[in-house]
Amino acid sequence: MSKRTERWKQDFPVPIGEDSYATRREFTKFLGLTSVAFLAGTVAAAARKIWKQATAAGSNAVPVAALEEIPAGGSKLFRYPTQDDACILLRLAPDKFVAFNQNCTHLNCPVHFDAANSQLACPCHHGFFSAEDGKVVAGPPRRSLAALEVTVRDGQVWVEKSNEKETA
Amino acid sequence: MSPKVRLRQRMQVVLHMVMAFVVAILMAQLWLFTVTLEAMESHTASLSIVSATVAVSVLGCAAVWALIRFFHRAEAQHQSQNI
Repeated sequence: MSKRTERWKQDFPVPIGEDSYATRREFTKFLGLTSVAFLAGTVAAAARKIWKQATAAGSNAVPVAALEEIPAGGSKLFRYPTQDDACILLRLAPDKFVAFNQNCTHLNCPVHFDAANSQLACPCHHGFFSAEDGKVVAGPPRRSLAALEVTVRDGQVWVEKSNEKETA
Repeated sequence: MSPKVRLRQRMQVVLHMVMAFVVAILMAQLWLFTVTLEAMESHTASLSIVSATVAVSVLGCAAVWALIRFFHRAEAQHQSQNI
């Protein structure tokens, strides 16, 4: 019988009480690995930011709509500079076009044009932006919408990345 | 109080201080991570902010590992003096 017990102990050498026991060394190693994980996340986010800026820098002006396609007070959705970047073009007056990134700066919900109030509204958390310049009017967003440079030539509306910095 | 007990208490204080530093650095790294995420989403945040957060996070990580090494050494020294 004692021989069988010894065999059993050889197969399961850790007592159940010590099974979940963590030494100080293991705990400090866990803290160190947590630090590495934070660093890896920071580096990944930084790399994504750099990549986004690099792809945006290489984008040129593109035509997004014909002049007669959008009536005054109307809007059109398009994608720029990549297929993943939803944008919105607004015609505020017969000779005034503005364009913004369509993602709300709060939690990335798409904003919609409210022509009656001349605002861009986010239905998710009731964020409101000015249709004139994309600045926050009300709601939880803290940053303005990213504006695009709009020009009209040859009967077409062209957009390109805006060089001027948006205000917070 | 015997010198042995005094030494043991001093080592406990050192070890607790090291752990407090490590936890503080981890909190700072977490904050830097959120700042970098915010900069990633923002169209206006400059690359200098992002590079600064990465550099400080690298320093923080190095400091954490240095403190852990110090912790292990102090612990080993403490145990050898207890024997």
